[in-house]
Amino acid sequence: MLLRCRIPLASFELDIDASFDARVTAIFGPSGSGKTTLLDALAGLRNITAGEIEVGGRALFSSARGINLPPRKRDIGYVPQEGALFPHLSVQKNILFGAERDTDADKSDPIDINHVLEILEIPHLLPRPVTQLSGGEAQRVALARAILSRPLLLLLDEPLAALDIGLKERILPYLARVRDEFKIPMIYVTHNLTEVLTLADWVLMIRQGRLIAAGVPKEKLISAETVTQLADEQFENVLTVTFIQANREAGNTQVRLESGTELFIPYLPYPEKPELQIRVSADDILVATERPNSISAGNILAGTICKMERLEGEAILTVLAGDEFLVRLTSSAANRLGLKEGTAVFLIIKTRSFTVI
Amino acid sequence: MIFSFETWQITLFSISVGLASTLLILPFGIALAWLFARKEWPLKGVVETAVLLPLVMPPVSTGLILLKIFGRRSPLGQWLYERGIEIVFNWKGVLIAMSVMSFPLLVRSVRTSFAEVNPRLEQIAATLGASPLRIFFVITIPLAYKGIVAGALLAFSRALGEFGATILLAGNIPGKTQTLALAIYNYVQLGKDPDAFILLGITVALAFLFVWCSEWLLRSGKKM
Repeated sequence: MLLRCRIPLASFELDIDASFDARVTAIFGPSGSGKTTLLDALAGLRNITAGEIEVGGRALFSSARGINLPPRKRDIGYVPQEGALFPHLSVQKNILFGAERDTDADKSDPIDINHVLEILEIPHLLPRPVTQLSGGEAQRVALARAILSRPLLLLLDEPLAALDIGLKERILPYLARVRDEFKIPMIYVTHNLTEVLTLADWVLMIRQGRLIAAGVPKEKLISAETVTQLADEQFENVLTVTFIQANREAGNTQVRLESGTELFIPYLPYPEKPELQIRVSADDILVATERPNSISAGNILAGTICKMERLEGEAILTVLAGDEFLVRLTSSAANRLGLKEGTAVFLIIKTRSFTVI
Repeated sequence: MIFSFETWQITLFSISVGLASTLLILPFGIALAWLFARKEWPLKGVVETAVLLPLVMPPVSTGLILLKIFGRRSPLGQWLYERGIEIVFNWKGVLIAMSVMSFPLLVRSVRTSFAEVNPRLEQIAATLGASPLRIFFVITIPLAYKGIVAGALLAFSRALGEFGATILLAGNIPGKTQTLALAIYNYVQLGKDPDAFILLGITVALAFLFVWCSEWLLRSGKKM
C-alpha cells in the first residue's frame, strides 16, 4: 500500500509519505494530528492537494496521472468514529446496504453474511431499529456493514473511543476476530496504546500532520519521543500467551509465553482458543536486583535491562525476561538500585496485575 | 352545513389548482433546495435571493411581472399562444401565479431539512458503493421527508391564499378563475357579506389545518 498525500488543514498541512503492507496498520497519534483526515482522504471523502494513493497495486488517486476515483469505486470500507448507521433503516437494512454492491470478478471470495453476523454476535439485533442499539452494538453493526460491502481495505476510525472502558474490553476481541477471520487489510486509527499493541502489526505514528515514525509497534512505541507524547496515556505491556491450566481454588491460571517462560494470571475458565492476550501496566511491575524470597507476588521473572531511557523524573526500562517488558520507575528508584543497560534484574508481577484482553 | 353550488365550485377549484401547483413545484423545489443545501456553484447567492423575492415583493408586482412574461405580446406568450396554450385569464394563470408565489416557502423548508441531514451518512453510503442517485433517494430524501412534507403543506396553504398575483395574471372571472381569496374580495365589493363570511370560514379552517400539520411534522422531526 502506498500513501503519499498533502492536504491543507486549518492550522497545519497534513503531509504523509508511507508505504506499508500489513494485516492491521495502526495510525497512532494524539487528537487533532490529522488521523481522521487521512482516512477521509483514503476513502475519497476529502480533496487532496497532491499525492498518490495505491491499494493492492491499484491507483485510487494520483495527482500526477490525474486519477481520482469516487468513494463508491474505491472498494474501501469505512467505519467512522460515530458509526454513522442510517437512523431510518433497521439493523438488517443497514447491514445489507453495502452488500448489494456490484461484485467485481476478481473478488471471487464471497463473504457469508451469517458468518459475519456470528463472528460479531449480532444476529439477534437484525430486526431492531438502529436507534435502539447500545454503543457497542452500534459499532459491531457498523463493522458488519463495512465488511459485507466486501472491501479491499477496511478503515476503522477510533472504533472504541466513544465506548466506556468495560465495553472497550468486550469489543476489542471482536476486532481481533475480524482481523483473523476475514483477510481484509485494516487501517486502524487510535490514540490508545493498548489497541495498537493488541491489534496492529505495523504502526504509523503521526503528529501535527507529519509522520514521525513507522514500523513494528513494539519497537516503535518504545522510543523516548513516543513516551513523552504519551505522557498521559496508559503505558502497557501486551503479551501473547498460551493457556496451560486453570486452578479455581488457587484463583489463578497458568500460561506460557512464546519463549517458554510461565506466568500466573487471574483465574479464568478454559478459553475457547488456547492463545490469549494479556496485559499489564508498566507501572505495576516491580524491579529487584536480587531474587526476593518471601513475597506474595505470583510471578518473579529473571531478566536483563536491554534498554533504559531517562525522562524527567522517571526511567523507562525495556527488560528482556522471556518477552520484552516495559517498566516505568521513578528516577529515584532507578538510581537507588543503580540500574543501567545490561543490569540483571528480577521483575515482580502480582498475578492480579494481569488482565486478559 | 349545506353550501351553495357556487361555494362548492369555488372551494374545489381553489383546492384542486392549489394541489396541482404544489405537485408541479415539488420536484423543482426539491432539486433546487438540494443544490442550495449541498453544492457550491457560481452565482448561488443571486439565485437564492431571486427565488425568495416573491416572498417579500408585493404580490401584485410579481403578478405584473408574470403578466409581462406570459402575456400574448411577450415572446413566450406569443410562442405558447401559437401552440394553443393560453396562460392569461384562465385556470393556467391561476396555477402559474400560485406556483410562483408558493415556491419560496417550499424551497426554504426543504433546504433546511436537507441541511439537517448529516452529510457523513451520505459519505459513508458512498463508501458502501451507493451511486449519488441511490444516496439521494435511499438516504437523503427519507431522512428529510418530514421537512419536505411540511414544506409542501406550507406551499399549498400559501397557494390557497394567493390573491395579488392571481388577480393580475388570471383576473377574477366567476366560474373560471375565481379562487376563495378572489371570491371573498368580490363578495365584499358587492356587499354580499354573509357569502363572504362562509368563504372566510372555509379559508381559516383550511389554513389552520395545513399550517398545524406542517408545524406538527417539523416539531416531531426535531425529536428524531
